[in-house]
Amino acid sequence: MIYLLPHTITESARRFPDREAFRFGNVSLTYRDVEKRMNQLAGVLHAQGIEKGDRIGIYLNRSIETAIAIFGILQAGGVYVPIDPKAPVARSQFLIEDCDIEILVSQPAQRKRISQIVKNKNNIRTVIGVSELEGVNTISWETVFFASTTFNLPFRILEKDLAYIIYTSGSTGQPKGIMHTHYSGLSYARLTAELYQITEKDRIGNHAPIHFDICTLGYFTSPLVGACTVIASDAATVFPASLGQLIAEENLTIWYSVPLALVQILQNGVLADRALPHLRWVLYAGEPFPPKYLRALMQQWSGTRFSNVYGPTETNACTYYNLPEIPATDDPIPIGQVWKNTDYLILDEAGNAVAPGETGELLICSATQMLGYWRNPALTEKSLHTVTANTGQTSEFYKTGDLVKEKDGILHFLGRKDFQVKVRGHRVELGAIEACLVAHDSVREAAVFTVKDVEERLKIVAAVILSTNSEDAVKKLRQFLKEKLPLYAVPEEIKIVEDFPRTSSGKIQRGALVAAL
Amino acid sequence: MLEQKIINYILEELHGGQSDVEISPEDDLLGSGLVESMGMMRLIQFVEDDNGIKVAPQDMTIENFMTVAAMVAYIDRAKNNG
Repeated sequence: MIYLLPHTITESARRFPDREAFRFGNVSLTYRDVEKRMNQLAGVLHAQGIEKGDRIGIYLNRSIETAIAIFGILQAGGVYVPIDPKAPVARSQFLIEDCDIEILVSQPAQRKRISQIVKNKNNIRTVIGVSELEGVNTISWETVFFASTTFNLPFRILEKDLAYIIYTSGSTGQPKGIMHTHYSGLSYARLTAELYQITEKDRIGNHAPIHFDICTLGYFTSPLVGACTVIASDAATVFPASLGQLIAEENLTIWYSVPLALVQILQNGVLADRALPHLRWVLYAGEPFPPKYLRALMQQWSGTRFSNVYGPTETNACTYYNLPEIPATDDPIPIGQVWKNTDYLILDEAGNAVAPGETGELLICSATQMLGYWRNPALTEKSLHTVTANTGQTSEFYKTGDLVKEKDGILHFLGRKDFQVKVRGHRVELGAIEACLVAHDSVREAAVFTVKDVEERLKIVAAVILSTNSEDAVKKLRQFLKEKLPLYAVPEEIKIVEDFPRTSSGKIQRGALVAAL
Repeated sequence: MLEQKIINYILEELHGGQSDVEISPEDDLLGSGLVESMGMMRLIQFVEDDNGIKVAPQDMTIENFMTVAAMVAYIDRAKNNG
């Protein structure tokens, strides 16, 4: 019976031992290989003395090792925490401390950054995947692959136990850890497998890094059904022409990414003249797809169906909209309907259900829902809305903070309730960037907002009032932000202004400010 | 020499002249994190301006831009064909 995520590997290794499970560049692993290697890593982790629920950091870029790391850690009864190697060391350090991480799973390419991390004051004692690093115990992948290929867990793990923690930016500027269980992960896998009729014959293109939950289609759904996940390299995600080649030459049947990757492939023109007879589905999530680009892409890939997937990381995903036809207008694409095993509410400010067709906040109660925020019960409680049934049983609904309107059973997304925005698929709290800017000595006040560029892509712009002016203020601020924030949250433009337009109470008039700039 | 010129650009412009960064012509720039995606776009712009070439969209690929050596080979071909 499959009730833990690594069971998907064991089961597919039994049913399809020689089928390709994960592929990266020219390297590929069959289900038998993945099972062996996850057992080897689990054994090595146990020899390091890990206990049930210990958090293990994954410090890898897109690579074949990501699959071994995820399933090896889970097989060992640990909880994996993806850490973006492109994020500033200070952010990695925060995650490592916040989760009490003692072991990292990595790769030789991260050697330099790891050596910076281990120099910081933290509890990292072992790094797997690199060799000979000063001040820390290291175990190379070669050593891991000499370990025993069988592994028996010395304690019990249940489906409600933690499987992974993904961090997103928080409103106070501190990232918050979103806890997911084996159950939420498997629920997602089962729901998506049925919804898109995914089988062992599918080849899924995985574009997202593992700290972004879009990747769970490739890492959870695919092993559940015995399909193959083709992991796009970091380099491929930079070059649309290479990404397009990957879709065509790997005969992908399902593609899932943020819209931007698809817009870039479209604009590059690399697939304009190529038939893609294998591509059944294109799934996109993370931000709205500008209809003009979606229309052009659907015209080009006429044999492919498109699905708009929506859901905050707290729910993994929760709604979908399979486009019935090529959009005729530039109206935003609906987020559609909630999927199975999921309930929803649309509430007004006072917490009452809105009248049919009225705008309100979307609340979700789903099998794919998080357990809560890591070590933050106050925030968890604040984010939930309890509903008591006539049986006395209570259900916790997650407040998405997104405003929606329902029309004919279809949900339409209208925007964030607060300042949280999505930029290139990443959730960004504008307030957190402002807080970060104001933290700099030379800054008096800061206002951060988004504008749409010519490609209708959201970009972050900061307006800053300086307390002490200097010639290279913008350059210094940018460097300062880069050390504090993930790259995608660093404003693309920083403008120095004398003052902001304000209301009579002194509050910044954001609308007027955006218009003025 | 072209190779060194590109390496210097990466060191000076993309790394702000940090002294502890070393780049060899065969290093996988994106894979090793030596260059980020936005940095790569700036680097391609620099290669275009510096060599008087225009990199066609279909030429912006891993094969042509993964390493400094690959870029130099690409620039040579582009100049000869141009």
